[in-house]
Amino acid sequence: MNTLPLPKRASVVIIGGGVQGLSVAFNLVERGQKDILVLDAGYWQGGASGRNGTLIRPGFASVPWTELFILTVDEWRSWSKRLGENVMFTQRGYSVVSEAEKSEAMLLEGLKVQQSLGVNSRMLSRREIDDLLPAINKARVRAVQHQPDGGVAPHHAVMKGLLAFCQRNGVDVRYRTKISGLERTGPRVSAVLAGDHRIEADCIVSCAGPNNPDIAAMAAVPLNGFGMRIEAMALEPTRPLIKPAIALIDSLAYFHQTARGEVVGGTEVPERPRMSLKVDVPVMANMAKVYLEMFPQLGEVRILRHWAGQFHASTDYAPLLGEHPDLKDLWFSAGWSYGFAGAPAAGRLLAEAIAKGRIDRRMKPFALDRFEKTGPIVEGGIVLA
Amino acid sequence: MEQNSRQTDVTFLWNGRPVTGRSGDSVAAALWRAGITTLARSRKVHRPLGYSGSYPTGVLARVNGRPNVRIDQVAVEAGLVVEMQNTWPSPRFDLLRLAQALPPKLVYGGFEHGAWMPKSGLAYRLAERAMANLAGVARPADTSLAAAAVAGERLDVDCLVVGGGPAGIAEANRHAERGGTVALVTRGDSLARFASSMGAALDTLDPRVRLFTGMELFGAYRDGALMVGAPHDNRRGAVAFVPRETVLATGRRSIPPMVRGSQLPGVLDAYAALQLAAVHRVMAGQRVAVVGTGAEMDIAKKLAVLGVDVVHRGPVAELSEIMGRRRVTGIRAGTQIRCDAVVHAGPWRADPSLGFQASGEGMFQVQAHPLPQSFSIVGAAARGDERIHAARHVHPDTLVCPCMDVTAGELYCHIDAGETDPEVLKRLTSCGMGTCQGFPCWENMLALLAARIGVEPEMFARPTHRPPRRSITVAQAAGLAALVEPDQ
Repeated sequence: MNTLPLPKRASVVIIGGGVQGLSVAFNLVERGQKDILVLDAGYWQGGASGRNGTLIRPGFASVPWTELFILTVDEWRSWSKRLGENVMFTQRGYSVVSEAEKSEAMLLEGLKVQQSLGVNSRMLSRREIDDLLPAINKARVRAVQHQPDGGVAPHHAVMKGLLAFCQRNGVDVRYRTKISGLERTGPRVSAVLAGDHRIEADCIVSCAGPNNPDIAAMAAVPLNGFGMRIEAMALEPTRPLIKPAIALIDSLAYFHQTARGEVVGGTEVPERPRMSLKVDVPVMANMAKVYLEMFPQLGEVRILRHWAGQFHASTDYAPLLGEHPDLKDLWFSAGWSYGFAGAPAAGRLLAEAIAKGRIDRRMKPFALDRFEKTGPIVEGGIVLA
Repeated sequence: MEQNSRQTDVTFLWNGRPVTGRSGDSVAAALWRAGITTLARSRKVHRPLGYSGSYPTGVLARVNGRPNVRIDQVAVEAGLVVEMQNTWPSPRFDLLRLAQALPPKLVYGGFEHGAWMPKSGLAYRLAERAMANLAGVARPADTSLAAAAVAGERLDVDCLVVGGGPAGIAEANRHAERGGTVALVTRGDSLARFASSMGAALDTLDPRVRLFTGMELFGAYRDGALMVGAPHDNRRGAVAFVPRETVLATGRRSIPPMVRGSQLPGVLDAYAALQLAAVHRVMAGQRVAVVGTGAEMDIAKKLAVLGVDVVHRGPVAELSEIMGRRRVTGIRAGTQIRCDAVVHAGPWRADPSLGFQASGEGMFQVQAHPLPQSFSIVGAAARGDERIHAARHVHPDTLVCPCMDVTAGELYCHIDAGETDPEVLKRLTSCGMGTCQGFPCWENMLALLAARIGVEPEMFARPTHRPPRRSITVAQAAGLAALVEPDQ
């Protein structure tokens, strides 16, 4: 933990030390950027980066999403080597399971997009389902779209690797450090305020998860989207029962069995929107019902712990990536609903843009002003209501 | 003695061999009586673990094809098939216990961090597979078990009393006399197990109080407006209580001493030792040492009356080591004392979980606040927590979290590198992320951290006490699905 006083200036100030913020920092370091400061109001892994399902897949149903996530899977593959730390990314496959005719048709549509972009993805035969998912309740399964290159990366290993790399390379990372304001000078953002302390910056990147709207408000600029909370839970560890990562597109549930044996996953129930880290009974009960119906052997397993996480979703659930159209030098990686999986791509694209001034074509569709200019991105392959 | 005359012998299988217990015994008590003390193996290095009263992890075994059953809560039955978990190739011959000889640093971080693993490709996938088998502890449930949701119950009550000790009984009776509907939930299979083991005179429970025995009240939701419990017997349904008022009479537990060897089979908390002796007529050992923070004298006296040979009694602060490889063989407390069991009676601390959940709030970290108006605390739980004696240098082999196999050395490795945030220590080591979900091990973790850096343990915000801490099966939880409306 760094206990030195905060600096008076930094080239790049990143707000948020989660997987998004540290991915931007890491990619900036790789591009030769010096003098990076990361500020986080909470503790290491305390936000969504430490609370998510850690599922990663390349293929969705729309071109912009699929292109972004092909890049992210490529990045995931090289992270352990580039970071010099094992992030434990494992391509053990990602299966999207349909239980109804309508969702099956959607998976088939998505498959066309994925295959046209070169994603390794296919619908499994009954026989392949037996082989890959021997414990699944076949009576409930209508179709399975399987992406062998998808998988998971445990967030503790990922966050540990990122932080170790950043600290080794001179990035100043401060947790439990809350910012209180942003300062504007003419057309640009010029400084971060942490209480009485002012930190001048050439560029500020907001990767603040659920607090991204607060950061936008501090700079007096609008930001699309709203706050959301999601709950997840972990079961007591058992030896391997479920190999790939699983998304149930009709039950709105996603889960996988971690390398330490816990089945970790979440689902959603309709409830009043609120921001809180507290959990409630309906998600636990509904998730249990899904487990019991899909993997009956889980019925006897006990639930170990249950938690909630918060994030900021855009109105089309696609990320908001890039410089704010109304304020120069203020960048965002916001609006994420698949943020953990997408962080390697986002970090790379933002770092390219910030350090080299190059806006990659894969980032363009996710611009902050897309709602006014080109309209929202339509993506049917996300497991989110 | 009258009790004994009615008991009959019951034979069950432990790791394929017949063991005879007495009707009314828990499986753990029957095994203890048969001289079998190692009931489980720790997660990383396969240390022997047993019945401790402190950590459920030492009593998790496979029973009739069900993984991770608490055998201190399962009564013996003829023909029961009980097997030790987390062994390879077999429970009787666990080669993996050789891991105890590994340099401790090699297993820091355990299964959570892949420092020693290949970084990518097929090599990583194979390593991951091996790790999943090592970390998984238990085989999944037998496929022959019929899985179905166990229907739960929703119960509106004027008053919910959590805890079946003397204070809980008195409080439940008081509310029942006033005419309200009252429910009392106790973890034990009967009321006031410990007080009656100590020979205390007890009030009888008012028959108007609805009693739930063998149930863990594991979660306070919606600021305490919803309190959920599940019976240990997974064939019975969970209960969602909607109380107007909640009384926490959850008592205090003795925190295991923070010395090397405290996880060894033969180290028992005072309640567990009393229960074994008074109810099951099983002695903790042939020669027993009793340590504590004052209560050790009374506890030792009572144990002696029950037939236990107490060879030492003294303050826990003087205890510096518990010796033994497979079970306790002695202690160091000023001098070296030969004994085969250690009973600890303090420091006494209340489990903060329910109060934490009922009052916790925060955007960046959930932190406890004053309890909601509808809550009160009575009995020993209201008496406050006793201070944990922690030296600045605890032996690095001291196990702080037996469930996740985390030693003082592993915590020191991070603390000495400057990491003093309990939330971060938890995530780096998994300390407190196992079966007990932080109690009692965070008590010791915070005391250890505070002593190391020279501050008071109270200055740290506690990591989140998350429900349901393994109290409820997936099938029991599924039975709550239609009973609790989403908050809309």
